[in-house]
Amino acid sequence: MTDSDTDTRLSGRQQSTAEDVEAARETTTKVVENVERVIVGHREEIEHILTALLGRGHILLEDVPGVGKTMLARAVAQSFDGAFKRVQFTPDLLPTDVTGVNVYNQKTEEFEFRPGPVFANVVLGDEINRAPPKTQSALLEAMEEEQVSVDGETHEVPSPFTVIATQNTVERDRTYQLPMAELDRFMKKLALGYPKLAEENEMLDRVVGNHPIEELEATVALADLRAARETTAGVTVEKPIRSYVTRLAQHTRRHAELGASPRAGIAALRAAQGRAVLEGREYVIPDDVQTEVPVVFPHRIRTESAEATPEQVVQDTLDTVPVE
Amino acid sequence: MSAPTGSRSRSLPSLDISAERATRLVALSGVGLLMASYFSVLYYFVDVSPTSPLPLLAEAAVVLGLATYLSESLRARVAVAASLALLALGLTVYISSLPRWPPIVPLVGDAIALATGRSLLQLINVDLWVLGVAPGPLFLTWYLGLRRRYVSATLVGGATLGYLVLTTDASNVITLLGVVGGIVAVGVGDVDRRGDALAAAEPLAVLLALIIVVSAFVPFVYGGTGTAAGLSGFQGGGGAGTVEASLVSAGSQIGIQGNISLSPEVRFRVQSDRPQYWRIDSYNRYTGDGWVRTGSTRDYGGGQLDAPAGETRTLTQRYEVVDELGVAPAAWQPVSLSGAPVSAARVSDEGGFAVQGSLAPGTNYTVESRVPLADPSTLRSAGTDYPEAVSDRYTTIPSSTPDRLAERTARITANADNPYDTARVIEQWLANNREYSLDVERPEGDIADAFLFEMDAGYCTYFATTMVTMLRSQDVPARFVVGYTEGQRVDRDEYVVRGYDAHAWVEVYFPDVGWVRFDPTPAGPRQAAEGESLAEAREQNRTDIDTNDSTGGEWTPTETATPAPLTPPAEQGGGGPVRTITPPDNPVPDGIDRTAPNGSGPDATTLGDVSVPGEEGDSDGGIDWPSREEATLVGIAVFGIVVGIRRLGLLGRVYRAIWLRYQPSADSETDTERAFERLEYLLERRYRPREPGETPRQYLADIGADERARTVVAIHERARYAGQVTREEADEAMSLVDELVAS
Repeated sequence: MTDSDTDTRLSGRQQSTAEDVEAARETTTKVVENVERVIVGHREEIEHILTALLGRGHILLEDVPGVGKTMLARAVAQSFDGAFKRVQFTPDLLPTDVTGVNVYNQKTEEFEFRPGPVFANVVLGDEINRAPPKTQSALLEAMEEEQVSVDGETHEVPSPFTVIATQNTVERDRTYQLPMAELDRFMKKLALGYPKLAEENEMLDRVVGNHPIEELEATVALADLRAARETTAGVTVEKPIRSYVTRLAQHTRRHAELGASPRAGIAALRAAQGRAVLEGREYVIPDDVQTEVPVVFPHRIRTESAEATPEQVVQDTLDTVPVE
Repeated sequence: MSAPTGSRSRSLPSLDISAERATRLVALSGVGLLMASYFSVLYYFVDVSPTSPLPLLAEAAVVLGLATYLSESLRARVAVAASLALLALGLTVYISSLPRWPPIVPLVGDAIALATGRSLLQLINVDLWVLGVAPGPLFLTWYLGLRRRYVSATLVGGATLGYLVLTTDASNVITLLGVVGGIVAVGVGDVDRRGDALAAAEPLAVLLALIIVVSAFVPFVYGGTGTAAGLSGFQGGGGAGTVEASLVSAGSQIGIQGNISLSPEVRFRVQSDRPQYWRIDSYNRYTGDGWVRTGSTRDYGGGQLDAPAGETRTLTQRYEVVDELGVAPAAWQPVSLSGAPVSAARVSDEGGFAVQGSLAPGTNYTVESRVPLADPSTLRSAGTDYPEAVSDRYTTIPSSTPDRLAERTARITANADNPYDTARVIEQWLANNREYSLDVERPEGDIADAFLFEMDAGYCTYFATTMVTMLRSQDVPARFVVGYTEGQRVDRDEYVVRGYDAHAWVEVYFPDVGWVRFDPTPAGPRQAAEGESLAEAREQNRTDIDTNDSTGGEWTPTETATPAPLTPPAEQGGGGPVRTITPPDNPVPDGIDRTAPNGSGPDATTLGDVSVPGEEGDSDGGIDWPSREEATLVGIAVFGIVVGIRRLGLLGRVYRAIWLRYQPSADSETDTERAFERLEYLLERRYRPREPGETPRQYLADIGADERARTVVAIHERARYAGQVTREEADEAMSLVDELVAS
């Protein structure tokens, strides 16, 4: 399943059974356990990444340097037995460095396509905001279309395909801020924050000697991930929930300069489905929506005043819009 | 209060938005209610007077129309001046219309000095008075109301009503109605002037309900403290009095009561050659629920009074007061009085003696009377050539009296072709067809009509009132008389008169003869009631019920002859089974109500208290349908209570309480949903409401609800968000909530 057929996936799908959900949940549990061997704390963020994976979304991690963004992304990526690629974005990175390039093969005397790092199941785009827009958009096209175009030829990326990008919140003067339209392509934007004291101590304990990431092994087969995604898409979303999400989105539009888009609503529902699976439930309840919306909506909202940040608008929305 | 410009700009109704207009409408209806309350009293005056009420209605319509028309153009100062001028003009017209007697100055002075508490009904030309006085206040009140000067309007209207309250003419209910109207006018008027919505006046509605309900209880609290108020007087809750109290101490007005009792105390002794009814005074104006004596009294000052025109016999009576007496009884028709009370004696327009203050025990006085002597044939042929003064004064019944009374009277008296026979037939008919009883419930509305058509028993007041009314309906001049029957004859010429001898009867006027007594009350039952009362009192060893010689029973004259004063006993038609005719010399007067002869009003007309039962609402049993005024008050009170209940959300709470405890079973989804709603409501009452953005789970976690609540919520979630719930789950949810509600 691709990320592009967003509009049709919610309906007409076979309902997932409790057994399906249980299987999918086991898959995620394995990933969480694996990731926690490397990452101390950040349980919430790990779960958010997993629900995004289940909901076929891409993730943007944004925080100050050194809090473990890349480590977290790597740990998740390496838990699957699929292809994992990492791209370090720099100001001089070219689009073809991401997508791949046609090179002339002297043996066969023809051009052949040498795939770039984007051709993987999990792509880690480090410091995505350091590359110029043209390079960024190469990655973003792959995220949106699940294909890349090189010299007029299109190449499908593998499936499942997930991008986990990170960006710094410092040194903004030497970065290329992602435009709103492109931010919208990320299902979630997560911030990690500094670890708590105990967590940080434990982390230091772990990394003395060999870093555990080096020993991390893939514990989940790609097939399992595909099956879990299938299950997630089949999680029941009843009318009250759909209407709740719609009302939330509309409320933000009335209280911000730029509110949550319909795509944001779709993303929220899919994330909520992932959350339901994570909780072992074959239907979405309002709590799932409330858990997901604070990471799905804010990066798509722009406010005018400094006091009402997008996060506050979303929180007000959740407090105000009645749960029915 | 606005500058004129303000009122002017606001008085264009078409520009008002509807909400604003509603407020103004309510404020104006408050003014209207106040006006209606005092106007109803004025209307009542006219109703009981000989004039038709139409002129008053026409006058009111013109005045109100004028006030409406002028409200925008006329300046307030001019309007006030105009109203005062109207009032002065009206009073002048009234005063100039007064006959030479009674003296104008004291009468008008009385009317203005409210302190006397005299009813305006005693004014002779009360109809003219009303026509003269009504326009001023009506105009000014309505004018001010229309100009949004609600406070001023209420002051004017309240002053008018207040005057009528001081004259005792406005009843409790009317007064309360006026007060409510005034409060609405001021309260809602204030809201109107501030331009607020009508809802701002909701607390006022609650307040009014409170006022009305509380004042409805006041009479019960103060019940029985002898507010034997006049006819239209305050509707206190006075309990049943004695017949005497209702008749003798009534002064110039008599209200009619319900239950009544008899007092066996001795009031006075009389030495007289012949037994007579010891008459106090009569009443000329019937109001539908009582009697009024119009006019005033004048000093007697000794000398001879006019004697009746026809043949008379002189009868001298010597009275000895045993118990303090506020009246001076005398046999009809007294021509002179001598003895101690002469200086305090007064003569009423009706020709009876009254005393200023009261007569102390031991006082003696002598009265010389000229008892009219006329045999039936003389009376039959007396004709109907009544002096104008008599027919004006004694043939009026309220125009509101139902026509059926006159119709039935005409049928009953169809065979009588002269006033004497008419009176006889009526007297006989009443005696034969109505039982004597002191235990009656005062009817609503016209007493005579009720006694004739609805009641089957009553006491003297009812009998006499009805007979007078019936006679008047046939244009026979008649009046209502109160006094004492002859009492216990203790010696050949000695009579001991007790409280229970108080009585009411009828006098009919015959040209060239004068006033002749008729008594429609059946004597037998009345005497029996009195005998019981005396025996009972003797058993209790009361000392005030007997004189030295009164314990031995009736003196039995050797000769049976009793002089026949007016109506010879022989004259009675087919003697009714119950009662023999009541000729005056019948030893037992009709059921007089006797009341304590305590001091009467300023004009000290003695007898007076005929208590027509029923003035009060203290009737036993029976449904008391409220009058229009009471219904209005009840309506306002109910409205206020409803508003109050709505504000308190009481109805909702009651509904919720039932809803919470009783859940009918439907399909699983509905049941689960409802169980959840009940749970939510229950938790809301016990903890706090769920916030809008709070999910049920978060809510339960926050308030620390127990496992049962969590189960219900889980079942509800499955039903609502997964669309799958089984019958068993629904039942479980319901029973869990039942458990929680009960716990």
